[in-house]
Amino acid sequence: MNDSSTSNNPLKRVNAQVGDRYAEMLSRVHVNRGSGRMMLLVVVAFAVFAALKPQVFLSPLNMQNIAIASPEIGVIAIAMMLAMLTGGIDLSLVSIANLSAITISTLYTSIAAGDPARAEQLMPVLVLIGLVVGLVGGAINGLLVSRVGITPILATLGTMQIYNGIAVAWTGGRTLYGSPDSLTAIGHATVGGVPMLFVVFVVIAIAVGVLVSRTPLGLKIQLQGANPVAARYSGINSRRVLMSTYLVAGLLGGVAGILFIARNPTASADYGASYVLLVIVIAVLGGTNPAGGFATVFGVVLATLTLQIVASGFTAVRLSSYEYAIAQGVILILVMVADQVTWRRRRIARRPVGTAAVQA
Amino acid sequence: MSAPAAPALAAVQRLRGPNNEGVLALILIGLVVVMSIASPAFFTLSTMFAIVRSSIVPLIFALGVLIVIISGGIDVSFAAIAIFAAYTTVRIAGAGLDLGLAGVFVVALALGAVLGLVNGAVIARFRLPTLIVTLGTQGIFKGALLTYVGSRYIADLPASMASVSTTNVVEISSGGRGAYLHVMAVPAILLCFAVAWMLRRTMFGRGIYAIGGDAEAARRAGFRVVRTQRWIYVLVGMMAAVGGMIYMIMGRSANPQDLVGGEMDIIAAVVLGGASIFGGRGSVLGTALGVLLVQVINNSLILAGVPSAWQRTAVGLLLIIGVGVQAVSAKRSVRRVRANDEEGVAA
Repeated sequence: MNDSSTSNNPLKRVNAQVGDRYAEMLSRVHVNRGSGRMMLLVVVAFAVFAALKPQVFLSPLNMQNIAIASPEIGVIAIAMMLAMLTGGIDLSLVSIANLSAITISTLYTSIAAGDPARAEQLMPVLVLIGLVVGLVGGAINGLLVSRVGITPILATLGTMQIYNGIAVAWTGGRTLYGSPDSLTAIGHATVGGVPMLFVVFVVIAIAVGVLVSRTPLGLKIQLQGANPVAARYSGINSRRVLMSTYLVAGLLGGVAGILFIARNPTASADYGASYVLLVIVIAVLGGTNPAGGFATVFGVVLATLTLQIVASGFTAVRLSSYEYAIAQGVILILVMVADQVTWRRRRIARRPVGTAAVQA
Repeated sequence: MSAPAAPALAAVQRLRGPNNEGVLALILIGLVVVMSIASPAFFTLSTMFAIVRSSIVPLIFALGVLIVIISGGIDVSFAAIAIFAAYTTVRIAGAGLDLGLAGVFVVALALGAVLGLVNGAVIARFRLPTLIVTLGTQGIFKGALLTYVGSRYIADLPASMASVSTTNVVEISSGGRGAYLHVMAVPAILLCFAVAWMLRRTMFGRGIYAIGGDAEAARRAGFRVVRTQRWIYVLVGMMAAVGGMIYMIMGRSANPQDLVGGEMDIIAAVVLGGASIFGGRGSVLGTALGVLLVQVINNSLILAGVPSAWQRTAVGLLLIIGVGVQAVSAKRSVRRVRANDEEGVAA
């Protein structure tokens, strides 16, 4: 962060230099890693388990299970990816999702106690309220990060505790039962054999993909993460970009809460407690640069599928969830190391050109 | 600024300490006073000792986390290391290899050091983000423990560990109620002094601050960054192992499912204690105050009849407020520096 020394130079030159550096980073580092290698990983994981235990793993039921379990994790992972894209992180996403699910369940049961038919009719309103809960959670995160200036990891560590504490106090630590039947019906419906939840997941993934790569906001988010200094010189309002990012992430957290409750008409404060770290694993595995600036939604979707395939594959060949935890850790570290090694090799290969330029 | 205000301001500045320890101590004292007025049961020796007792294990973990955070990293695998080292030791000692109290601690320390080295080697060698690496190793350590060592709850500890489970270092019985201070408070306090000494008086300790401040500058100043980083994680692994052992001794049982999941509470306490998440700043005194503050709040909430569920929310709020104040004042000082710069340029 030694930009103060260069600020005496003409602004234009600095801008061009930093901009070039940023473009170079985007074009050379990590590029297309998400999609290409993840594709391979999905295929390999699928092939291995299909070969090991075809009668269990390839059964339509198992395929459906993978498709039903993936969306809720995948949506949170996409939200995590967005936060990481700006160079931040959002630890509070799972807590937001649970709060949203708890709100829907509580409202439904209290309305249904007086008038079940009315509670059923109000399903779209309840879903909307769930989304609003997500937005509010995201707005608080956004304010803390962009206005107060708290580092994302601390701000969301704090709000994670707050949201989770509220959820625990609200439910008294118990599991709530009850949600609109129509929501559950959607959760169990299939479209041409594909679970409705998976369709929703794909739609959301495409929407976020378009947001990131085809809209001005998406470009700003990428630039903010790739190089905050360059972003500032480019006239980007980083406060507004960060605020929007955490708002969208919170909204996706709310969506995940709705997916929780659509899959299973229950809500509790500690549902998906292990997701907090799992979604970071998925986001990084999917090619997201944790330092910011690079990520693809497609990569994250593929990473979600890979881990879900490995999880159900481990079950199919009778390995325990503990062994699955080992596999997760090993995959994460191996992919990170491989990234780092190839990146360094590229850098070393390029170094002669770089030094020549400096000397000239 | 008017002249008479200056000395008062300086006194306030001195009170704040380098990392807001003074402010933290004031909050702590204020809380104790308010609670003592509100509830007479609070201001008793037995309550104080109970708070110290509940702080022992978090404090030891917090010291390890402090070292990592000062070096600019973050470690979420220490709880997994703690439970791995302690539970494996209990299994070994339970299998007829009880080496005495010192012996079992040596075994646990060795295990903790090896696991810490795994973290340190990967992080230092490949320069990977510490959060992600320790996230991965957390899964590996916990999975390996439950798969290969055991997943069963052990109700009785080996004799050497059980022998100190109920030992108190101070016992005072007055007015029918006894106040007991667990013997394990002694190693925890000793560890505080040892870590404080290491951070302030040894080259290794200065190296930790230097790396956290700016790794490249530390390298040019002659610190061996990679080697120091590796040793940091070995050290943290060993401290986690001690924490795990004491946790089991005080709980008088060994459950391989414990501890993991509570990492964030410890990290929150350390950050509350004034350590900067960017590295380069933090103190043992602040950390100890941060841990105590969290425990006092927990205790107060229980005494005040607030459901214990609100503990998490209280700690989260405290964290946000604490860090928020730091962030705002940091922003102000940056603005002040910039204003000075502009003045200088103009002049």
